[in-house]
Parts: sequence; structure tokens; C-alpha cells
Amino acid sequence: MRNIWVVAKNTFKLEVREKILYAIIVFAVLYMLSSLFLADLVLKELPMVKSFALAGTYFFNAILALFLGTTSFFKDVDRKVVYFVLSKPVTRAQFLLGKFLGLCLVLLATTAIFMVAYLGVIGYEGGGFDVMGIVAIALQYVEMVLFIAFATFVSTFSTSLLSIVYTSAVFFAGHIVSALVADAQAIHITGLKYRLVQALYYIFPNLEKFDIRDFAVHAIALPASTFVLAVAYAAVYATLLLVAGIWIFNHKEI
Amino acid sequence: MVEFSHVTKTYKKRKSAVNDFSLKVDVPIFGFLGQNGAGKTTIMKMTVGLLAPTSGSILVDGIPSTDTVSKKKMGFMPETPYFHERMTGMEFLTFADELFEKTSDKKAHYEKLLTSVGLRDARNFEIRTYSKGMRQRLAFAQALVNDPQYVFLDEPLDGLDPLGRREMKEVMLGLKKEGKKIFLNTHILYDVEEMCDEVGIIHAGNLLYAGTVKGFAHGTSLEEAFTNMLMEHEGKKAANHHGREHAVSHA
Repeated sequence: MRNIWVVAKNTFKLEVREKILYAIIVFAVLYMLSSLFLADLVLKELPMVKSFALAGTYFFNAILALFLGTTSFFKDVDRKVVYFVLSKPVTRAQFLLGKFLGLCLVLLATTAIFMVAYLGVIGYEGGGFDVMGIVAIALQYVEMVLFIAFATFVSTFSTSLLSIVYTSAVFFAGHIVSALVADAQAIHITGLKYRLVQALYYIFPNLEKFDIRDFAVHAIALPASTFVLAVAYAAVYATLLLVAGIWIFNHKEI
Repeated sequence: MVEFSHVTKTYKKRKSAVNDFSLKVDVPIFGFLGQNGAGKTTIMKMTVGLLAPTSGSILVDGIPSTDTVSKKKMGFMPETPYFHERMTGMEFLTFADELFEKTSDKKAHYEKLLTSVGLRDARNFEIRTYSKGMRQRLAFAQALVNDPQYVFLDEPLDGLDPLGRREMKEVMLGLKKEGKKIFLNTHILYDVEEMCDEVGIIHAGNLLYAGTVKGFAHGTSLEEAFTNMLMEHEGKKAANHHGREHAVSHA
């Protein structure tokens, strides 16, 4: 566990020095602040402002997760930096988990910044302390952790560019699979076609579980069980991805 | 003592890189000598646990080299080292040491190490500003950060200027005096002649000779003895191949 933490700490330290990270954070904060102008345009309608701001936190965190997840682990292996680490009493599993944890910490920091910006904007517009907004952003973060787990898994056998393609594809698939099943049921698709849609539903992560923007926007309380189930779903899915990633990395010639 | 026993390595996408390699090493400085692609780096990477042998075993003081106990005794400097560019030399050394589960503040130890490899003044600069020679020195320093009993150096003098080479050699000789065991991969004959107590000649994954440098050279220069051995080996291989083809055509 200690080695995982050492690698995670080092990963965090390295990634927060990436200039591109700051560029994305600046854009994200500017986007949030632009919600204030939007508020004037929509006659101070708070739900519109919340929706706009939450879309921003999601979008910019997704970009960060994609960038970090597909480059950090791959770069260390591809550029042989990993030689220094794995020749010491560190297992490949510890290294992979350390990288994953480090990236999750970076994203936790950026999410915290986005959350403060969000709360500031909503508070300024008279929305008070938006607890449901916090819950929505927290679930966005959980989704991003899953996103990083997938990107890390793909990075164990793929190049950085292909990882971006695979991860983006799964990201989009993850957001439409539940709608696909619903549509298939609505138009009464049966037999093999329906089984195929069902298979896709179970293979791809159902990322819609983490999207509670509507609850936040309209200040509707979210049942605790929905939140807990979403977190548990992400934990199980991410664990499976990381176990598979470790297995592949253990068999990889570096 | 490091003991290689019938070690073979076959890469997935290539032919065999190391063939039935057996050797016991217990001298202060042992040099693996061979051409590029001979299998020296593969042997070293297997020893420090970066690669798994296809068959055979590697023991360090009787314990598998990939065991944590063995790894704590080892230091490794890879060929053409790459670093996290945005870290400083001092940060990298600290990170390397933290992986050995030592918690005490060892800043003085790091400073001493960086001074010994001539990097003290650059210790707080980002590694991306380092020259190739400075990177070699930092890679050398991190290999010594855990005060290892066995030090594995893959082409450690590559990219260093004459002064740097001299300094690195002095550090190696200092380690020898401290009773450390050094394994040196190189294709530079002069370095072997100057530094090594024993040498292993590797060619196409096969160990052709292991023993003292003097015993190998037999009064001639090391270069002459080395090239003669390789040519003789290639000649034998060609003759065997030719003999097999001849036998097949007769059959």
C-alpha cells in the first residue's frame, strides 16, 4: 500500500505541473463566470444558470480525465521511466494502482476548484448554498474516476492516441446504452436484436447513472440509495477494469 | 553472489535473446561484454526484475532476484535513461528512495550522492534542462540511493565526456573499495580492461567466455582476443550450417 501511495503522490506532483492542466482550469473558470452573463440573458432564471454551469464542470473534467488517463501511464511505460520504478521493490500492480490513484487525486483537486467556482456563481445569482449541485458534481467526479480506470486499462495495451479513440468511444456508448435499451423496448424490438442491445448495455458502463443534473437544476432531493448505488457501480466496474489492466501489464514485455 | 542457472529468454515477437545462460558471479566488478544486441541488456533486465526469464533462475545470495529481499539489495541504472522531465534531480532521487520504504529524512545522503556524481549544483534544476551526461549521472545516483550491495549498470559511461567518464569510474572504484559488487554492461573494451576483475563475453545470447580479463586476452590486446573469439564463433556456426546443408543435399 505504501508504494502505491508513493507512486500516486509522485504522479500528482508531476501532473499538476503540466501547463495544459492550468489552461483547461482557466477556460473552465472563465466558462463558469460566463454563466453570470447568461443569467442576464435568461432573466436570472436559476435553473438555466445551474444547467449551464454544471455542463461546464462536466465537460472540462471529462477533457481532463481523457487527457490524464490516456497519457500519464502510457508515457511512463513508453518512455521507459518505469524501469526506474519496477527495478525497485515495487510490483507492476502497485505501479498501475499508484498511477490511477494519483490521477484521481489530480481530478479531485480540479473538481474542487470547479465546485468552488460553481458555488460562487450560483451564490452570486441568489441560489444560496446549492447542496444538490455539490452532489451532482460529486457524481460527475465518480464518473470521471471510472473514465480514468478505463483509460488506464486501455493504456496497458494500446498507444496514447488509440486510447483516446477507445476511451472516447466508450464514453459516448456509455451515455447512450440505457437510452438504446429503452428505445428498443418502446418500439418492441425482440429476439436476437434485443439481446444484442442488452449485451451492449451490460458490456459498456452505464454512465447515465451518474448524471443527476436534472435533480440539481430543479433542486429535487436525490434518494440516497441512487447515490450509493451509482458509487458502488463505479467501484465494481473500475475494480474490474483495473484488475484486467494489471493482468495485461503483468504479461507485457517492457 | 549472483547465480544464473540455465536462463533462457525468448521474446514474443523475436527469436531467442538469451540461450541457456549459466554463470556464478562473486567478484567486485564484473563486465558483460558483447556487441549491440548480444543479449547483455536482456540479462540485466531479467536480473533486476524488469523481464521474466522464459526458463531458468537468477538468484541473488540464494534468493530469487525478483524477490523484494533481493531487490532491496540491488541498484539499477538503465541504458539511455528517461526521467520525469518536470522533476528536479533532488526530487527524483527522493522519489527513488521512497520506494525502498525508508522514512527518515535523508537529504544529506542525497546531497552527498549528487555531489559524488557531480550534480550538486544542478540538484534543484528541472531534469528537462539536463544534458545527456547529466542524465547519465542522475541515473547513476538513483542506482545508489538505497546503498545497494549489488549495482547493475547498463552502459553507464555512454554520453559522458572524458572528465565525466573519469569521475564515474572513480565512483565505481570507490564502491568496489566499500565491498559492493558491480555488474557493468558495455561494448567499450577499454573500460572492461581498466575496470573489471572478471568478464563475461556474450554473443547472440550465448556466453562464450567467463573469467579474468588476463585469462581471456592471453597476452594479446582485449580487442584482438574479442574479435578473434567472435570470428571463430561465427566461423564455427557457418561451418555447422554448411555441414547440415551438405548432409541434407546428400541425403
